[in-house]
Amino acid sequence: MTKESKKHICPYCGEMFDNTDGLKSHVFKIHKGRGLPIPEGWIRLTINKSEYDLKVEPNWTLYYLIHDVLGLTGSKQFCDEGGCGSCTMIVDGKPVLSCMTLAIECNGKTIETVEGIAADGHPLIESYINHHAMQCGYCTPGFIVTSKALLEKISEPTDEEIIEALAGNICRCGTYPQHLIAIKEAAAKLRVKKAAGKEGK
Amino acid sequence: MKKFKHFNAYSIEEAVSLLGNYGDRACIIAGGTDLLGEMKDAILPTYPEAVINIKTIPDINYIKQSEGMLKIGALTTLSEIADSEVIMSNYPTLAQAARRVASPQIRNMGTIGGNICQDIRCWYYRNRNNRFSCLRKKGGRCYAIKGDNRYHSIFGGSVSGGCMAVHPSDTAPALIALGAKVHTSSRIINAQDFFEVKPIKTTVLDKDEIVTEIQLPEPPSGTTSIFLKFAERKSIDFPIVNCAASITTKDGKVEDARICLNAVNVVPYRAIHAEEVIIGSSLNEELAEEAGQAAVAQAKPLEHNKYKVAIARTLVKRTILAFTEIV
Repeated sequence: MTKESKKHICPYCGEMFDNTDGLKSHVFKIHKGRGLPIPEGWIRLTINKSEYDLKVEPNWTLYYLIHDVLGLTGSKQFCDEGGCGSCTMIVDGKPVLSCMTLAIECNGKTIETVEGIAADGHPLIESYINHHAMQCGYCTPGFIVTSKALLEKISEPTDEEIIEALAGNICRCGTYPQHLIAIKEAAAKLRVKKAAGKEGK
Repeated sequence: MKKFKHFNAYSIEEAVSLLGNYGDRACIIAGGTDLLGEMKDAILPTYPEAVINIKTIPDINYIKQSEGMLKIGALTTLSEIADSEVIMSNYPTLAQAARRVASPQIRNMGTIGGNICQDIRCWYYRNRNNRFSCLRKKGGRCYAIKGDNRYHSIFGGSVSGGCMAVHPSDTAPALIALGAKVHTSSRIINAQDFFEVKPIKTTVLDKDEIVTEIQLPEPPSGTTSIFLKFAERKSIDFPIVNCAASITTKDGKVEDARICLNAVNVVPYRAIHAEEVIIGSSLNEELAEEAGQAAVAQAKPLEHNKYKVAIARTLVKRTILAFTEIV
């Protein structure tokens, strides 16, 4: 590199300057108040109560990171365009589509997948099995994750509330009526568990 | 997805500066539910070199009342708007519209700013790997005019008479009916003038401009508003036709009315003729029917979408009739 072509690159946005003064005034004007630049692509995540420090590529979706890279294969990808709900994960308490979320934008977030819900011994798992709320089972993890988020918000959901909450999950086998029964049973078990927990204290 | 550079913007100035550097080669990402679909399918002739995340900008996710209006930050999610008590009671059309967008998961991700800036859903435009280089992509012609145009415009096209793709937003007609203003990083635009048809563009925003806030004026006393949507499915679907209306009544007569349809034209379609029919009269079924007729009097449907004219007419009628039940 010749002396003339040497450029000063802004660590925050990559803009190039001919001299340090230009770079300095740019950083003070545009990136005022930013901490030290974080190395590109490093994120810290909490997935199912364990913390991870990960290096990700900008074009990885959250689904790809968790399913393909970390090997938590419970979540399923079906449509890959935000139209089916199979890949739903709970991010900071809200069900979102992991196929339409960039992993690099999840820095500092808390993520819950179907594996975490199963490990907690959540009554949803058992009631889904008892009432056979599945046929091929491919959409089931998405349904369980969405219903878990619903039960956290509403402890005694009505049929209408369940239908509205599950409106973003599609089951090609048509097991919808069983979901209503299973979710209501799990909600009842959770309420009993909660009441017992209070008495125990 | 192909590779791209990713930047987190921590202030509006930073986002604008990054956009200024990259120009056409960068995209803004907020909820990402529209952009990632476009990028996965590589529908555009060029692939974005950089993606600028604005979710990291603090303090532009809010719903607050100040200076006699309601201010909604551009990053406020659609589910926050649908569940907001102040919007449900004062601006019901917006809460109802936000509640009908896509699915609960997408409403948790998608923002109000992104919903009004979203791209068109024409199936020629959206075809994978830029298969149809259409007018909207600076190509030669609109494939929908002679092709399958069942979901396209019934009020003619744009981009030199061509592109027939409709604007798909649910919240846009609600904002127009409420007389909202869109605050951007450099100016304030009336919601009605915000939409524009240009190649690879649906809004009047400049290359280095982003939406920062939506401002809703205080509704005059006696005002109610309603949103109705007709779609093939109850959820995860774009509208065939949707209709938002805000009507002010005094002594049983309509004093002011704003009715806006969407998914019928290349930009949200304000049904001025329907408004003229009902202003000054008291609402009843005959008048609602007449207003419905007036709303679609100028329709020029294409070969496969004549059915949309009937739906638009009926939806305007039903919206007006819904007011007679409330008022």
